[in-house]
Formats: sequence, structure tokens, C-alpha cells
Amino acid sequence: MSGQENGAGRPDGGGAAGAAAIFVTVGSLFRFDRLIAAMDGWAAGSDLPVLAQIGTGGMRPSHMDWVERLDRAEFERAVAGSRLVVAHAGVGSVVTAARFGRPVVVLPRRRHLGEHTSDHQMETIGWLRDKPGIWVAEAEDRLADAIDSALAMPAGTLRTLPPVAPDAFIARLRHFLVG
Amino acid sequence: MAGEGRRKLLAVSSGGGHWIEMRRILPAFDGFDLVLASTDPGPDADLGPVAYHVLPNVTRKNAADLPRLVAAVIGLVRRERPDLVVTTGAAPGLVALAAAKILAGSRTVWIDSIAAAEAMSLSGRLARPVADAWLTQWPHLARPGGPEHWGAVL
Repeated sequence: MSGQENGAGRPDGGGAAGAAAIFVTVGSLFRFDRLIAAMDGWAAGSDLPVLAQIGTGGMRPSHMDWVERLDRAEFERAVAGSRLVVAHAGVGSVVTAARFGRPVVVLPRRRHLGEHTSDHQMETIGWLRDKPGIWVAEAEDRLADAIDSALAMPAGTLRTLPPVAPDAFIARLRHFLVG
Repeated sequence: MAGEGRRKLLAVSSGGGHWIEMRRILPAFDGFDLVLASTDPGPDADLGPVAYHVLPNVTRKNAADLPRLVAAVIGLVRRERPDLVVTTGAAPGLVALAAAKILAGSRTVWIDSIAAAEAMSLSGRLARPVADAWLTQWPHLARPGGPEHWGAVL
């Protein structure tokens, strides 16, 4: 995290160095100010520490600790150390939360708001919404309810996703590559 | 393995979710001389020492950077001359498959992102002519003549 901007949103906050109860992430590609603004508002009314990975050029929160980007190891530490992940509906964020058995609330980026180059995150929430440990907020006004539901889940009850793809897929790929 | 050395496999993808999908199929590449290429500044620390090349990222938002990506990929393919190229997308993977086909006669695999649940992605559709294996991760998107469904990373 050195060499980039970060900030502590709370006067008694520990800064952006450590994990927090709620980890907010916008992914590695584009900023997502609508999510950050909504979570900043939520954090203002909560006692739980929140760390937000806000992307490059994103709005600076006032009530959350924040960092612009995290490398893979830092990102996994932030997820593993959290009780809940709140994320854009990106495959990387959801998979990493699942790897560590953390519940995740997702808000999809919308193309018409300039948040992504297509509306594929709307497709993504279609198949994510029925999976255990995943709560979908279609819009930011649904975030608070989704967060309450996710936090009500007892810690440690989610199974962790294996770190690699199912054996059958890997075997099929390998057969083609070796062949 | 035939020959005096292992065959060289280039695994290339955009950063973020595409890279995480690639990480989940790395076991398929055991025994190959592996070269990784992606858009993050460096390889994940837990991979240990690996051959890793940084590529410029190109999305629809910065399509003007495409020539820079093409130049970087051509340089990479010329240096590495991969026997095989596997990509989980997006634009960097598409360019890599095309360059490898044209410059190195490589055997190529396109794996469309699991995020593309309702249709093949744009880059996936464009990759069809340069992909020997042209794959979707969603069974309902498979068609006779392609894309095929061999499984998914989840």
C-alpha cells in the first residue's frame, strides 16, 4: 500500500493498514463512486470499522478508512480479516470472498451510469443471487437491508470455495493442451 | 513430453476477475514451461518465482491504447514463441491468440469469462477465428460448431 494515497476516515481509526469488520471493494479496473458514497453514508451511522478500496481517482470517503488499490496478498488479507465484504458484482471480488468463506453483498455497476463498459454485472447478479453467502442489492437503496441480512449470518458458517476449478474442467483442459 | 524440453505455454489475461479465473485453472499447466502475462504490475507473491510479463490493459474505455497493447503482445510472442496460448480474456487475451496464431503457429484456447452468462463476450466472439478451443463456461451457451462447454472455474 506504500506509494499511494490512503486515508483514515475516523478520528480514532487505525488507518488503512489493517483489516476491518466491513471491507468494501470496487475492483481493480474502474472507480465506483455510487457504491463508495452509499457505504460512506452507511458507515456514518455504524460503529463497525470499515475499510474501502476505492479505486484510482475515486471519491474520498469521510467515514471509512480507505485505500486506492491493494495487491493480491493485501486484498486477500482484507477479505480474510473482515466479517463482510461489500463489492461491485465482479467475479474477482465474489470469488475471493467465497474463498475465505466471507458473506458478500454486491451492487452491480451500470453501463448507463458510466460505471462499466457493458451491463454484464446485471447478468452476473442473475446467477449469483441464489448462492449461499451472497446478497444482491440491485440499487444502492437496497444496500442497508442486504448488509443487515449478511451480518445476521453467524460467522464461520459459510463453506469456503476451493482455490482451483473443479477437477473435471482442469482435466479436460489438460487433455487438450497435452494432446 | 516429446523432445528435449518442455513445451512452452503462455497464460495471458486481463487483471482482476479474468486473472482470478486464470489462477483457478493453473493446475492444468503443470509440466509446461509456463509464461504468464497480465495487466497487473507484477505477479501474485504466492506464485513464487515465475516468468511474468506486464501488458497494457485495454478496455472499451481506452481503445486508443490498442496499438500499444498489440506492440507489447507481438514483442512477447516473438520472444517466447509459445507452443500453446491459453486466455481467460479479455482484450489482451484476444490480441495474444491472434499474434500467437500468426507469428508462432501456436495452439490456442479461449475461455470466456464466467461473468458472460447470457452471451459470449465481445472479445470472445472476436476470438473465434484464432481459437482452436473456443469455450464458454455456461452450458446453455454451447452450440454445435462452438462455443463448447468443458466446465467452469466455479
